[in-house]
Parts: sequence; structure tokens; C-alpha cells
Amino acid sequence: MSFVSTLLSGKFIITAEISPPKGTDISRMIRDVELLKGIADAVNVTDNQRGVMRMSPLAACGIIQGKGIETIMHITCRDRNRIALQSDIIGAAALGIRNVLVMSGDHPVKGDHEGAKPVYDIDSIQLLGILKKLTLGFDLADNELSGRPDLCVGAVTNTELNEVGLIKLKKKILMGASFFQTQAVFDAKSFSGFMEKVNGIRSEKVKIIAGIIPLKSQKSADFLSKLAGIKVPEDIVQKMKRSKDPETCGMEIAANIIKEIRPMCDGVHIMPVGKHENTKMILEMAEIL
Amino acid sequence: MIISRLKEFDQILQLLSEKKIFLIGCGKCAKKQHTGGEPEVLELKYKLTAAGKNITGWTVLNSACSINSWDDVLEQNPAIKMSDALLIMSCGGGVSVISRYAGINVYPALDTESLGGVCCNEIVTQLCGMCGDCTIWQYGGICPVTQCSKSLLNGPCGGAVDGKCEVDERLCGWDKIFDRLKELGKLSHLEMIHEPKDHAKKSRGKKI
Repeated sequence: MSFVSTLLSGKFIITAEISPPKGTDISRMIRDVELLKGIADAVNVTDNQRGVMRMSPLAACGIIQGKGIETIMHITCRDRNRIALQSDIIGAAALGIRNVLVMSGDHPVKGDHEGAKPVYDIDSIQLLGILKKLTLGFDLADNELSGRPDLCVGAVTNTELNEVGLIKLKKKILMGASFFQTQAVFDAKSFSGFMEKVNGIRSEKVKIIAGIIPLKSQKSADFLSKLAGIKVPEDIVQKMKRSKDPETCGMEIAANIIKEIRPMCDGVHIMPVGKHENTKMILEMAEIL
Repeated sequence: MIISRLKEFDQILQLLSEKKIFLIGCGKCAKKQHTGGEPEVLELKYKLTAAGKNITGWTVLNSACSINSWDDVLEQNPAIKMSDALLIMSCGGGVSVISRYAGINVYPALDTESLGGVCCNEIVTQLCGMCGDCTIWQYGGICPVTQCSKSLLNGPCGGAVDGKCEVDERLCGWDKIFDRLKELGKLSHLEMIHEPKDHAKKSRGKKI
């Protein structure tokens, strides 16, 4: 079943995140793909995340889809102007990559090419508008396309949202985002508050896929707490600190969160720090597989 | 007001391959910010002299970017004609104007940062992105092109931590826009969908 059909089917959606390699060696990426076959409905492929230069997600998606698993291509506004973005989307669609996830993108100062010129010619709302136009057969400048891309477009959101953040989420829905993948969730109660707000502004057709990061150590819990939109509750930090087997403890925590939030949302998105060797096990522990 | 900062002294020294240097400050923005008024010009003169440069003279122009006549500048500062190079303590606008007429090498002593202003003795930076298509009223008078590190026109990126921008220690520009629009009773402006900027409206060196 295609990812679009899965979204519409009402099945609990499983997606998982893969980072393209820094270099041409795709062996580790392919190992992750093999681990996710038959588990994930689609694999997200990041776009130079945190501003760290890696293989283009367009190329990585092409390689991964060749291995028989559908991808969701991340596309940020950081590195390309409106011409390059449209060009890449059309190219991706021609290669059979039709799921895209739109985001502003971490600023270059966060990455390994600090002096790079940040582009941000357009923002994520405008990019959603552009994608909608492309699917109708026109580019941003109203020129007609010969062959139009058939896209399934998603966007991202934090689950800890202030008022202005919620308005932006509303705009993303208005501009045609059909699914949202969230920043990592660690607190089911707080996530329930987020879902209450979202349910007030979305139709059932707009799917919410909750981000899950399995912790590997207390250090990873401390690190994540410092990132935007992530709150790791103190009891989880303490649990990781006390544990003699932090990796298993992190898996249990992830599985428990999935169990708790499953009735509230439409799916989960697994974003491990590192490889996907534990992803299947976590989903089994969460009684999803 | 154009916001500028003094380059590192070693960097300035490396720029100057010539021996006889004439210094020019600016009596407008650079003076107000203490980056190119008389005290700063004299301090740089002192340091350059100590570093072995022959400073032939100095002046602080009324405004380095707005010169009525270069001949008048030469007449009032005859030492310029005996100099190999000019070192300018003004924004890039001033350096460009002087470079057009000087006929000798002209070097900047300052780096130009942004278009800002002064309010109640407070110097405020990055107030305008000079995009050529001003819509600042839609944002409560806070320019998203400069106050948001990513120049986002439709809302925050979600990268701020505890209200601070992911790029530097600035407060998130979008929180400021929200607060101002709330004060003005115009929160409905946030619901607008802003189309991509028409960058063709930005002058590309056209003569007006």
C-alpha cells in the first residue's frame, strides 16, 4: 500500500528517520533501510539536518526507493531559492518520490558550514503554497508545466506551542499540509494538551504523527532537553540516570510513550540517535507490531 | 542609521600596504556609534603611527556618504594629495562614495552590519532589511526580514529555546511581533498568508 493510501486508510502509521551519509558510502544507510523494511510505512530522509552538509536527500531517496521502500523527502528552505526548490521537487516526482516534508530548516550557524549564506528566499508556508500550485500544473510564476507532480505534502510542528506557533500550524493546514510529523514527545500529558489544540483546528484528513526518540543515555536526555520544542520530564531523566542498562531503559520509555499516546494520534515517527537496530523491538514492546 | 563596527586593528594593518595614509571619519552614523567620530579617528591615528605608518592627516567629514564636492574636501585637506591611500571610518556607503572620486586606494576601517536607529540614546540594530517592498505595518512595525534570523514572513520556525533565537542570544523576532500586534489589537494580522517577496523590487544598482 502506498504511503498516501496508508494515510487515508486509518491504519496507525509508522515512519522512521534516516540520515543520508556524509560522503558517498551508502552502506550504513542501506543497512538501516533493510532494518525498516516491512516495519515502516515510509522512511523519512533528512535534508542536511542541523545544517550539517550530507548527501542530498533527493539522491538518497532515489537510492532508498530503489530498495523497495517508500520515502518522505525532507525539504528545507535554508539552502535553495524558489527556482531550485521547484526544480528539485519536479525532479524528485519524476523519480517517483512523491512524499515531501516541508520545513524552514536549521540555520547554517548550527551546522558545520557556519559561514554559509542562509537562503530562506521563501518560508515553509509559502513552500506549501508552491507545492499546491505545482500539483495543479503551474509553477510559482504561473507558467504551465508539462506533466505535473502528484505530491503528498507534510509539515513539521513542535508539540510545545505558544500562540503564534499555533497560528503558524493553522496556516500550514490551510496551505495544504496533509500530515504533520512532530518534534520528539516524552510527556503524554503535555502531548494530550497539544492534540486538544490541534483537534480544534484540523479535519480528520490531516494526520498527526508523533515523533519518538529512544534515549540511549542520560547524556542524550540532557542533550535533547536543550533542543527547541523538546521537553524531557525530570522523572525520565532520573530513570535514565539510575538505570544500569540505559539503552534498554530508553527503549522501554519510548515503548511506554507510544502506548500512552497511541489513542490520541495517527501514528509515530521513530528518530533514533544512531542506527535503527532497536526500532523493531521498540514497536514490538509498544505492541504495534 | 547605518550600524557599523571597527575592524580588528591587525586586520586594518594588513589591509594597508601603502605607507602614507590619510584618515577620514564620518560625522553622522559612525560618530553617533563611536566608531568613526573624532575620538575614534585620533585613536586609530595614534595606533597606526605607533605601528610605523605615516599618517599624513585626518578629517571627519560632515557625512562620508553625502559629499557635495570632492574638490572642496581636497582644498580643505591638502594632505590627501600627498597620501598613497585613504582609510575611511564610515559605513560602506561612505567608503563607496569616496572611492568614486579619490583616484587612489581607499580602505574601510569599519564593517557595515545593518540598518538600525537610535531611540532614547539606545542604538538599535537590524531594523530594516531594505527589501524594496515594505510591509512592516503587517507586523506591528517590527521587520521580520531582519528581526527574524531566517527572514520568515509567516510565523516562527520553532527553533527558539526559552524565547531565544536558535542563531544568537536575540529574543525570537516572532515573539516580539506577536506581543506588539497584541498591544495594538491587531492579532488578526498574524492570520494573513504572506506571499513570497518580490525581490525584483529591490534596486539592483539602478540610477533613480
